Amino acid sequence: MENLLGIFVKSIFVENAIFAFFLGMCSYLAVSKKIKTATGLGLAVIFVMLLTAPLNYLILTYMLKEGALAWIHPSLATVDLTFLAFILFISTIAGAVQLVEMIVEKFAPALYSSLGIFLPLITVNCSILGASLFMQEREYNFSETLVFSVGTGIGFFLAIVLLASIREKLRYSKVPEPLQGLGMAMIITGLMAMAFLSFSGIKL
Amino acid sequence: MKLARKLVDSVKPKFAKGSKLEKYHYLFDAFETFLFVPDTTTKNGVHVRDAMDLKRTMLMVIIALIPSMLFGIWNTGHQHYLAFGMESSFMDNMIFGLIKVLPIIVVSYAAGLGVEFLFSITKGHPVSEGYLVTGLLIPLTLPVTVPLWMVALGAVFCTLLGKEIFGGTGMNFMNPALLARAFMFFAFPAFMSGDIWTDLSPEVGHQVVDAFSGATNLVVFDTNYASLPSAWDMFMGFEQGSIGETSVLACLIGAVILIVSGVGSWRIIVSIFVGGYLMGLLMNILAPADNLAHAMHTPAHFHWLMGSFAFGAVFMATDPVSAAQTNTGKIIYGLLIGIMIVVLRVFNPAYPEAVMLTILLLNVFAPIIDHIVVERHIKTRLKNA
Repeated sequence: MENLLGIFVKSIFVENAIFAFFLGMCSYLAVSKKIKTATGLGLAVIFVMLLTAPLNYLILTYMLKEGALAWIHPSLATVDLTFLAFILFISTIAGAVQLVEMIVEKFAPALYSSLGIFLPLITVNCSILGASLFMQEREYNFSETLVFSVGTGIGFFLAIVLLASIREKLRYSKVPEPLQGLGMAMIITGLMAMAFLSFSGIKL
Repeated sequence: MKLARKLVDSVKPKFAKGSKLEKYHYLFDAFETFLFVPDTTTKNGVHVRDAMDLKRTMLMVIIALIPSMLFGIWNTGHQHYLAFGMESSFMDNMIFGLIKVLPIIVVSYAAGLGVEFLFSITKGHPVSEGYLVTGLLIPLTLPVTVPLWMVALGAVFCTLLGKEIFGGTGMNFMNPALLARAFMFFAFPAFMSGDIWTDLSPEVGHQVVDAFSGATNLVVFDTNYASLPSAWDMFMGFEQGSIGETSVLACLIGAVILIVSGVGSWRIIVSIFVGGYLMGLLMNILAPADNLAHAMHTPAHFHWLMGSFAFGAVFMATDPVSAAQTNTGKIIYGLLIGIMIVVLRVFNPAYPEAVMLTILLLNVFAPIIDHIVVERHIKTRLKNA
């Protein structure tokens, strides 16, 4: 139980997908102009994360790992299909994103149009694939994977909403012309990452 | 005084519109208004009829900082002579402290104002008084042994990336002075932690006493809080630490000046102290009973007295630009700072002093706190309409 809580807090604050690993930067920088759209995208990412990482865990343990296919026939016990992990993980994510897209289009059409291309692009959001790959690399079990995926999603949500709120606040600042837009967002992200360093070093 | 006036008046036409040195007009303007009260009135922006403008606000903060600065100068000398086991009078301490601290302050001002002047010339905006406070805050957060080139680098970094890049004073989202401190802390960790808190430049005929330890109270409390000095000593500030942070008393005098003059928000200051105390109490309740030396057993009020809790709460967190703007937001912001400081102090062994990074972190959270407060307010008003 303590271990699960540790993973949860760690994935949100200490090893935040954005501020510690700089994963998922594209949508993070592009959809953070307004708090409202940022919240929408953040929630979509949490949902996709929650769906894909546990699903990928099941795929990994019952289909890909060495000996995982033994339940079909004993002669398959030596087969190791982990080299297929990347392509299968991405397919799961793409499928989940399709689902989210349909849900958002049906129930929040305004959000759907404001997110535009960035909703289907969640598929290639590095932090989502990152969560699945970290799950594989760190050899989490199912409950750990579940907690880790929610935590990483909330970490991304937090980061993108914070950036959006700061960018809304800075709308009245006189930023030099060459730095307006993305340039400023990069600098703000760097400064925010510095503030988030306060959590690094916490042992959980 | 008349001589200075004459001198200023004689060069004034050279900087006027259309003349040769027009580009440097704002530079000249800054020096003139620094020396004399300007006779021009505000031309743009908000026309509030009040004696309180940016210049007076900043001067008030500087006045509030003076007790901390003077005590820091005295304490620099006091700690130095204490480490060598030498008797020293009040004047000895002050003279030694001035020799060590004054160059840091001068370098901080020169480097930061240099960048500010450069921007005012190239971008054509007036030099703002904001840096007068930042330039004094940076030295007070540093250990006295810090190399001067590092002070300059930190001051340039924070003025450039912490402020000017956003458009100058009032446009940034993080406290520039703390940004300088954090930048130096991460870029040059060897100069910013360890046995650096007391100036140990050699004294003829004296050795550093055996009992001397370079550890600050924050390092001590992490291993065994019982070996901390008495609460009174920590309150007065007879301890090692950054130049301006040690004396809680001096910070509280500053707090009174800030609150009475209306410059600093009492909501922020009070809620930080309350948040820290409540979290300290909670830690005491949850502390492991079998390990009495554990940092969680530290009495809650000790957190107020250790390190730069008071200095950060009074001078850093109250920065009106980077703090939360709404009244409810200020209370939430303050409480969170107090809570986070104690949590990080106890649970994060990497940084014994959490005040700097906690306030920067809450600077990041301040806009969203304001946003939520405002949205909630709109919702309740709509419901009651």
